[in-house]
Amino acid sequence: MGNEEFYKEAGDAIKACDKEKAADVAKRALAAGIAPDEILKKGFIVGITEMGDLFERGQVFLPELVLASDAMSAAAAVCSAAVAEAGGDEEVEEAIVLGTVQGDVHDIGKTIVVAFLRANGYNVHDLGRDVSADKFIAKAEEVDAKVIGMSALLTTTMREQKRILEALEKQGLKGKYKTIVGGGASTQNWADQIGADAYGEDANDSVKKINALLGR
Amino acid sequence: MSKIWTRMGDGSAIELTPDELRQEIVAGSEDAADKGQIPALDENEIDKLVEIFSAPWRVIGVEPGHEVPLTKDETACTLVSSQLSSGAHLQISREDAVEVFERVFAFDTMELGWIDYSFKPAKPMVSLDQVAVERLLSTTIFPMLYGAMPNMGLYYTPDGPFTNPADLLPLMKMDEARAEEMNAAELCMEDMIYVCKRFDEIGADGIDFDTTASAGDADFWATLKTVEELKKTTDLGIEVGMSGEFILGMHGEVEYNGKRLAGMFPHQQLKVVEEAGADIFGPVCNTKTNKAAAWNTARAVTFVKEVCKQATIPIHVNVGMGVGGVPMFETPPIDAVTRASVAMVEVAKVDGL
Repeated sequence: MGNEEFYKEAGDAIKACDKEKAADVAKRALAAGIAPDEILKKGFIVGITEMGDLFERGQVFLPELVLASDAMSAAAAVCSAAVAEAGGDEEVEEAIVLGTVQGDVHDIGKTIVVAFLRANGYNVHDLGRDVSADKFIAKAEEVDAKVIGMSALLTTTMREQKRILEALEKQGLKGKYKTIVGGGASTQNWADQIGADAYGEDANDSVKKINALLGR
Repeated sequence: MSKIWTRMGDGSAIELTPDELRQEIVAGSEDAADKGQIPALDENEIDKLVEIFSAPWRVIGVEPGHEVPLTKDETACTLVSSQLSSGAHLQISREDAVEVFERVFAFDTMELGWIDYSFKPAKPMVSLDQVAVERLLSTTIFPMLYGAMPNMGLYYTPDGPFTNPADLLPLMKMDEARAEEMNAAELCMEDMIYVCKRFDEIGADGIDFDTTASAGDADFWATLKTVEELKKTTDLGIEVGMSGEFILGMHGEVEYNGKRLAGMFPHQQLKVVEEAGADIFGPVCNTKTNKAAAWNTARAVTFVKEVCKQATIPIHVNVGMGVGGVPMFETPPIDAVTRASVAMVEVAKVDGL
């Protein structure tokens, strides 16, 4: 079996949302001598990127996207373990703390962003909805997060994003975490005004912005 | 080359050359055509949009004779509340505000709704709202509707009895999530039918289902089934307004008359809304804040033009904060609002706004 066939099989396993198959392809590809980062980049990531595009076109839906991201995690775990076994540094998934801000219970968009981020290899701590500034910060400290993501759908609750940034500043933690805002009412202008590091227009854009913030 | 003053989708001011403006319009239309698998705007339509966006005036209007009805959703909260839609917080009642919309702003239809504007919280207040609508029916001339959002999210934890799919999906409990969505949809439908029939009893002219499908495909299903029931059993006129340009597949497999609802774009949404028996359809196209207003308007017009082409019922497009080509800004700039409105009438050929 040639490398190209492994890449295709890897992408297909993600698109089929098949966790066992994804892990199996990863193991067989590694056994055939393909480097872990090669099978990830040329196979699995191609598959998950295609799923993201299909989601935005209304051709696959949230349950499939969540299952695909689970399959992606299974494949990534196999590759990561292989790197460690070979004496390399096992890739540690960077932690992101994400939630819908206090006073706001709209969590559909946030859930989609979580699925996209997990599919892209991030260790996402989903705090859910109606999350206070204190909870955001406490969780970020606990898990040594790299990024804090704050979602707000409403013009009346987006000010809570500002409160979280102010709380970070008060506690001397502002520079410690990269911050990103998103949700129906947020814009790049708003992110600039309140001093957030980035604004995510939608789930795909949020992944791109977080990748850029973390130099991926 | 002279520059044209215009805006981005977040409302910020920018300047474009005529060539750049045209490129934005073409690209916006092509994006809609690609996403919705529908025709892009033709050269004449592109020219018209260039003309609309090149107009030197801050506020523009349609050609004489092309005026369309203005219908109002989201009730009269704009005037009464300080919290909703940049509310003016005037010290007047909701009923007074409705009359202002008729006699001062010259709207052609209006609705009353409970301040929370969702059917679930409106249900226990329905007797109060019945009295208000009944009074307004005798003091206004325009069609008087009752309006609310299905807002099916209110039926999930922490606000409702059913487990939130947003909690179940990450645990890979797909079947449980889907079951809870349909449980919520059934209860949402029961509440909507109950509330709407109370307004039929007092002779309301109609119901506006606003921001439908905000919780995804099951939310849309609940609305369609409610409309179907109301058309069978009442004389209510029915308007269905959307929440987004495509139906979010939270469930993914819900069907209406054999058609999968998830992933439907506006022209496909129209068909099931017509099948359910609605009298007016209000499509929504979302604004991208990092694209120019011209790009967003061209994109929205492309989607809505296809809706109008296929429609057998009147189309009253949503043109407001963050939809229909209007920038996502709490007080939408009037220059952008009038350009989007004119484009919808002159190019997409909508029946109303």
